Amino acid sequence: MAGSALKRLMAEYKQLTLNPPEGIIAGPVDEENFFEWEALIMGPADTCFAGGVFPARLSFPSDYPLSPPKMKFTCEIFHPNIYTDGRVCISILHAPGDDPMGYETSAERWSPVQSVEKILLSVVSMLSEPNDESAANVDAAKTWRDDRKGFDEIAKVTVRKSLGL
Amino acid sequence: MEANGEETNPGFDPNKNYDEDTLAQQREIEKEIAAAQSMVSQLYTFDEIVEEYSQEDAIYRQKVEDLKTRFKNLRKTRGDGNCFYRAFGFAYLEILLSNAKEYKRFFDVAQKSKDELIGLGFPQFTLEDFHDTFMDVVKMVEKPGTVDALLNAFNDGGLSDYFVVYLRLLVSGHLQQNADLYIYFIDGERTVKEFCSQEVEPMGKESDHIHIVSLTKALQVPICVEYMDREGDKCNSFTFNPFEGSADTTDPTPVFTLLYRPGHYDILYPL
Repeated sequence: MAGSALKRLMAEYKQLTLNPPEGIIAGPVDEENFFEWEALIMGPADTCFAGGVFPARLSFPSDYPLSPPKMKFTCEIFHPNIYTDGRVCISILHAPGDDPMGYETSAERWSPVQSVEKILLSVVSMLSEPNDESAANVDAAKTWRDDRKGFDEIAKVTVRKSLGL
Repeated sequence: MEANGEETNPGFDPNKNYDEDTLAQQREIEKEIAAAQSMVSQLYTFDEIVEEYSQEDAIYRQKVEDLKTRFKNLRKTRGDGNCFYRAFGFAYLEILLSNAKEYKRFFDVAQKSKDELIGLGFPQFTLEDFHDTFMDVVKMVEKPGTVDALLNAFNDGGLSDYFVVYLRLLVSGHLQQNADLYIYFIDGERTVKEFCSQEVEPMGKESDHIHIVSLTKALQVPICVEYMDREGDKCNSFTFNPFEGSADTTDPTPVFTLLYRPGHYDILYPL
């Protein structure tokens, strides 16, 4: 059987449902369209995002997994590697050469053997350890670097908002 | 990271992501190439090929004449950065159609390669996806296979691209297994693993000498490449012999020949 995006996405969905990584839930928005996924990511423990539940959307291209999906948080989140409109900017979402941020060479890039799970795990570590060298949100990167207390305060508000409090 | 110098460009909109525009434009160019070129073409004669070069381009025209003395036909591959892998894959399977013994050897190597790659740390779940499709294409050789069936498969993205991905993984695996040897041939301050994840595994990354050496060694397939550039008046041929320097006494006669024109590989068919 020929490889196809749909076949792969169905297999990944099944895999994520059977063995969900800690703090991550993800799947198609509706089972009629496997190319749009919704994900819920829990803020990692012992970080300023702990306790929050952050919703995001993943949009897969028709040639997935040859090309990576795009990912966007649908909630407010102030973070150096997330654009103000929610788009996530980390190296694994880009093939080498397609990196608008000019990531350091050792950073992990997209390749067809990566997976949704690998992306979501990278996003969790991005929440724990922002990379202020390649900032998508310059304000957030500055605050993270120069005013950690202020950053933590904003994160706390984000966490509360994400829980609808 | 602070954005400097934005003020000097009055048309610059700091809220706009220009990199994404560049990438979108690149995607458009890729689409145009995809629409205009098949992944692996029908056979061409050199009289058709020579027309690609202008009358004034004496060097290339002369080199096409040189090729005509040794080769009958040529098959073109799509210029999408995957041409070496596609040319290698198609040319090799086409040869295997009429070589059952070599097919059997290759089939076993291909079958076993999956566990070797998993052993190197490639994720089993996604690797299997590519290996399954790769083996499906390989098995087309024995169905009994025909050149037309292979040609159709190599022009079907779901088969052809997956086949290319797996060849890339084989190259990556071989480089990583022999990292102490290849580290000296990698430019930049990179480990072999980093080189593989940046220059080998992603689709569309072009192949250099090191990729070819690695694939011919991984599969133990000697090949020849005819280099057609602006130097001299004949093409320079180079044999990649995977058995060189080893005790292996397998016949190193190239199994097939590829044509290299700067930045691109096609398949050559001898007279």
